[in-house]
Amino acid sequence: MSWRPRPYGVAAEFDDPGDLVEAVRAARAEGYRRMEAYTPYPIKELDEILPMRNYLPLVVFLSGVLGAFTAFYMQYFIAAIVYPVNVGGRPLNSWPPFIVITFELTVLFAACAAFFSMLFFAGFPALYHPMFRIPSFRRASDDGFFLCIEADDAHFDAQDTLRFLASLDALHVWEVADE
Amino acid sequence: MNVYEKQRRAARPPEPGATGILLAAGTTFQGVTDQITGVVLSPDVPQGWVWCFSVGLIALLMFLIAITAMISTGVGVLGNNIPVAWAFPITNFVWWIGIGHAGTLISAILLLLNQSWRNSINRFAEAMTIFAVVCAGMFPMLHLGRPWIAYWILPYPNTLTIQSQFRSPLVWDVFAVSTYATVSLLFWYLGLIPDLASVRDRAKTRIEYFAYGILALGWRGASRHWRWHKTASKLLAGLATPLVLSVHTVVSFDFTIAMLPGWHSTIFPPYFVAGAIFSGFAMVLALAIPLRKWYHLENLLTQRHLENCGKLMLATGLVLAYTYAIEPFTSWYSGDKFEMYVVHNRAVGPFAWSYWSVLVLNVAIPQLLWWKRNRTNTTILFLISLDVLVGMWVERYMIIVTSLHRDFMPSSWNNYAATGWDNAILYGSIGLFVVLFFLFVRFFPMISMFEVRELLPFSKPGGGSEK
Repeated sequence: MSWRPRPYGVAAEFDDPGDLVEAVRAARAEGYRRMEAYTPYPIKELDEILPMRNYLPLVVFLSGVLGAFTAFYMQYFIAAIVYPVNVGGRPLNSWPPFIVITFELTVLFAACAAFFSMLFFAGFPALYHPMFRIPSFRRASDDGFFLCIEADDAHFDAQDTLRFLASLDALHVWEVADE
Repeated sequence: MNVYEKQRRAARPPEPGATGILLAAGTTFQGVTDQITGVVLSPDVPQGWVWCFSVGLIALLMFLIAITAMISTGVGVLGNNIPVAWAFPITNFVWWIGIGHAGTLISAILLLLNQSWRNSINRFAEAMTIFAVVCAGMFPMLHLGRPWIAYWILPYPNTLTIQSQFRSPLVWDVFAVSTYATVSLLFWYLGLIPDLASVRDRAKTRIEYFAYGILALGWRGASRHWRWHKTASKLLAGLATPLVLSVHTVVSFDFTIAMLPGWHSTIFPPYFVAGAIFSGFAMVLALAIPLRKWYHLENLLTQRHLENCGKLMLATGLVLAYTYAIEPFTSWYSGDKFEMYVVHNRAVGPFAWSYWSVLVLNVAIPQLLWWKRNRTNTTILFLISLDVLVGMWVERYMIIVTSLHRDFMPSSWNNYAATGWDNAILYGSIGLFVVLFFLFVRFFPMISMFEVRELLPFSKPGGGSEK
């Protein structure tokens, strides 16, 4: 028996978004859990079939709160504690004018959090990925719809899973090598 | 029925005179990708691009010469003087930052309102925003006189024993404009990532493959990534919506918080925001109409897009007209002599030409947009948008100069005249904008491919060509 490297998974290509969604449903019904669909644009139906935890709103909210506190404290610290300047007898902690910058920094912190935590959660930048080995994978950014059942799935078996995917309405199926 | 069959079925010839359609019939996934990445990857550029870019480059050189002269000699080369200390630089600042507003409005507010017609125009409108903010951001610094110490306005730990004055709108402006620039840039790049992956996947040379590969960050269209991408876009849109309204509000605070007659008015924030969106849509049209012709984008940028922009221009123009009417009314109703004098001086004083041209350019001429015939005629629409861009510049000039040159004390009155350097910097900044924008058009996908794909009738699983 020859030793073969453990594959990353097996993948199938479809030419229609409907076929892909059907295939994902069938794979879920078959008991597969670790899988990923690759599409040229977001497909709403996949969000329901492939569940995931989405922490992004929480992170963005907390960053916004942090931004608000940072901005207000910075202004209070500078205007009332370290550089107190009496302007026309107004109170040093004149909070109404501080609201503008508090608002701006809330938005700035939250927006940076939205962008950078999206990159973090998605694992970007990741210039290499086993899926890029598939010769026609470049169609995933144009008109190709791909499904990959990953090798770390409990049900995964290189032969059986390949046979299962081939039984669906796929154009091609591949075993994706992982190195 | 596979997708090719569906695409063929959808490829019926367009109905004659159909102006309501978003995408021309016959648009396919591959068609969209080929068309948009083709602009970036093909070595030839249209004649119009070459001409505009060359003119922009010459103007940019003029800009560099002018600001070198201004910085090495001092702001004395400009017409700015007491009492008209703001003049051209701040007029240019407010004009440019206003133009930027339409980009964020299209990308954020129209996204939240599910206006799918925005999908063809949001990308280049966002790019326009960023470059307009780049142009705007330079003017407050340039007119400081000593721009190399502009960073003193930031609250950084220093040994100067002074700090930023957080009660001053000028400091608010720094935060508002820099936040706006950052958020616009992040939003724009977030949307670009999937499209840069499309360009990467079609790259022909190693350099292109490498450059777009790095820029695309390894995007592979995984459904989980799409979900994060969508969540991040929606959140950024939700954050950018109050931001875009706040930016021009803060810009208007620069004026309203001063006690000067003609500036000290509560109508300024909505007045400025409406004017900003008005001029921004004018710039979107002024860029979209030639681009669509040169790059043959009529199938993606249809009559309906142009017409909708025209309608929004008309609506914001009417808000502006209302403000123009309310301003003399409130100054008369207030009974304040100085306020009334400002209105009188605007109408018949030395800068009356600016007041009357604002009314003609911003109120009278845009009324042509009431007629569908004018909104669907690209030449007329293009000319109206240029008219609005000029009108909005003159409006800011009128607000700044007429109020400053006649304040409370006749002893401090003085007239204002711009110098050649003033004009060189204004036209030069347009050159900078044109150069940046046309470089963007050349090297980045100018229409959001993945959002256009979503609009195609066969993009929905289970949805056929019937929709």
